[in-house]
Amino acid sequence: MSTYTTTPDEQPDRYGSGLAGAIALHALVAAILIGAAYLTHTHTEHWGENASSVGAIQASMVSAIPLPTKVPPVKDSVLAPDTVSQAPAPPPKEAALPPPKPTDVLIKAKTPDKPITKVAPVPTVAPPKHPQPTPDTPKANSGESATQLPQSISQVKNGTATATVQDRTFGNRYAWYVQQVSRKVAQNWYTQEADPRSSQGKGVTIVFDIESDGTPANIRLETHSGSPTLDTSAMHALQRVDGFGPLPSGNHITVEYTFDYRQQ
Amino acid sequence: MIQRMKATGVTRLLFAAALSCLLFTSSARAQDQDWFHLETSSGASRLRIAVADFKPQSPTVSTYKQTFDTTLFNDLSSAGLFDIVSKDMIPQSTPGFPAEINLAQWSAAPSSAAMVAFGNINVQGTRLVVSGFLDDAKNLQYPQIFAKQYNEEASDDSARQIAHRFADEIIFRLGGGVAGIAETKIYYVKIIGPNKEIFEMDYDGANQHAITHLGTVSLSPRVSPDNSRIAFSTLGRDGFQLKMYSLLLNRVIAFNSAGGTNLSPAWSPSGQQLAFSSSRTGDPEIWISDPQGNIAHKITSFRGPDVSPTWNPKTGAQIAWISGRSGLPQLYTMDADGSGVQRLTDGGYATSPSWSPNGQFITFAWDRKYGPGAPGGQDIYIMEVASKRWIQLTHDGGRCDFPSWSPDGRHIVYANSPDGKADHTKIMSMLADGTQKKALTGSGADMPNWSWK
Repeated sequence: MSTYTTTPDEQPDRYGSGLAGAIALHALVAAILIGAAYLTHTHTEHWGENASSVGAIQASMVSAIPLPTKVPPVKDSVLAPDTVSQAPAPPPKEAALPPPKPTDVLIKAKTPDKPITKVAPVPTVAPPKHPQPTPDTPKANSGESATQLPQSISQVKNGTATATVQDRTFGNRYAWYVQQVSRKVAQNWYTQEADPRSSQGKGVTIVFDIESDGTPANIRLETHSGSPTLDTSAMHALQRVDGFGPLPSGNHITVEYTFDYRQQ
Repeated sequence: MIQRMKATGVTRLLFAAALSCLLFTSSARAQDQDWFHLETSSGASRLRIAVADFKPQSPTVSTYKQTFDTTLFNDLSSAGLFDIVSKDMIPQSTPGFPAEINLAQWSAAPSSAAMVAFGNINVQGTRLVVSGFLDDAKNLQYPQIFAKQYNEEASDDSARQIAHRFADEIIFRLGGGVAGIAETKIYYVKIIGPNKEIFEMDYDGANQHAITHLGTVSLSPRVSPDNSRIAFSTLGRDGFQLKMYSLLLNRVIAFNSAGGTNLSPAWSPSGQQLAFSSSRTGDPEIWISDPQGNIAHKITSFRGPDVSPTWNPKTGAQIAWISGRSGLPQLYTMDADGSGVQRLTDGGYATSPSWSPNGQFITFAWDRKYGPGAPGGQDIYIMEVASKRWIQLTHDGGRCDFPSWSPDGRHIVYANSPDGKADHTKIMSMLADGTQKKALTGSGADMPNWSWK
């Protein structure tokens, strides 16, 4: 337990001399202020007190002032024509129709439903069978009906690559060239660039032209596979090819190339 | 400071040793299996081709026919493009003309050929006349792909040249427009006693003959893109200096030399510039000059040796080279003005790069674990420049160095010393995936350089 000792104010207050000193100091400061104000005070003129023309401006009337001459308005000014175009008149107010009377609308009176009478079904006579006319050109000959078989198929590690040349006669005549194109693209297709999970079982078709010197041009995605990595890997395969060798004939061919991804 | 200079000197000595092929031995060591697979072909089927023996049209032609048939068969089988039908499996008949061939016979088993090359060979007076045909065996409606006739002075050499030309024609048509290499040459260094001379041979190792007769040590021949000149480095009175040999004039032509050791010239694909390593300012740096050796300017400026430049043949805008700026020599690339320096190898001891014709790869010799007792040895590697992924092409075959890419990008020629001894070095070629390795020369040949065309 600790003990607190209160220290009593033993010494008596001695503020008498201090109070006298403070009053004397205040009086001295007041005397200095008053004295300084009296000594430094000089009489100066007030604003407008002793001026010759007191508070007035002289104005004289003239017949004309030099305003800039008026320029005739430019007639053909497109941006800001001086002729004011007429504001369009407000549309004429339509005459308000009187509100419809309640008797204007006809209301049908309810009639009771008729009883349904059963009718025996009438057997419809089958139309006589006519022999169908055959078209002049069979579709197989024009090549419209069947989907074209690819002209070259090459098996690669993860899937197949098929090439089809749009020009049939070229494809038949120079089958070796089409196979060569197919092989070259297949060799440059790095199937590991495609993501195996999303690309499984999908195919992408790329169409490109081959110029007469054998360089591929206008490489474009014809059918997206749905797997972006497979699309990119197929585009890369074409972009890696510098050339397929000069065309055996013609100045260009168009090749449709399908990459089918299949994991083995 | 003195110690550091000494160290640089030692490195420089090592470089000089490596470059002049005074190689120290490295014992056969356990092969390092830690390598990535970089797929160059996704398993696309190869074209199956059958080569018929050519039909002799006169009895005097038999020796030429033998040469021709062998050369054609070897050219096509080493092209790296075809699955070639063995001669045992082809039909017995010898068709000489398109009318005589029964393609169904060739496309059926056992030959199962997709393509058939055939023709006839004849001697008319002093001329050797060869007609060659290539038929698509699967396309019975339009079988013929091309027909060519060759007419040359009758000799064994021209029989071989005609076979090369016919093979190149087939490879060009069926290989996707990349010209064949059967007519290209390989320049190399032949060790003759104490001297080393520049030699030339056909791409298959035939027709080896000397180019220079300088009676001194000549190194690192590099043929110009137009096959008109060879730049090489020769040890003379002023140390190693660059020299230029004209294949058209068959003599050494003028090349401005400067002081220091000048090594490993490299032609730019335009043929207008020559990059080389020169120590004329004290430190071996890469310099570029014109083909006469004028207007030389330095493009590297680092402490440590910079040697073995090689241009990107596709663009001509980049140079790969070997630099020792960080200790052991490493493979770097930079732009042709010296900017944009990139390091490609992460360690070991890399030497003698060669850039592939399509600009995609660099082949180089690399000792991945360099040092006493380290496993592995110096082998040939390929690195894809963009991704810095690499594969190892040679394994356990002894010391390999100086790879050089063929102009079709499908082959690599290199020097191999089975026991590590310099005078046992021989020149080998292989496909760029490391298969079909075969020796082109006997021992005593080094530093091959494949011509540009």
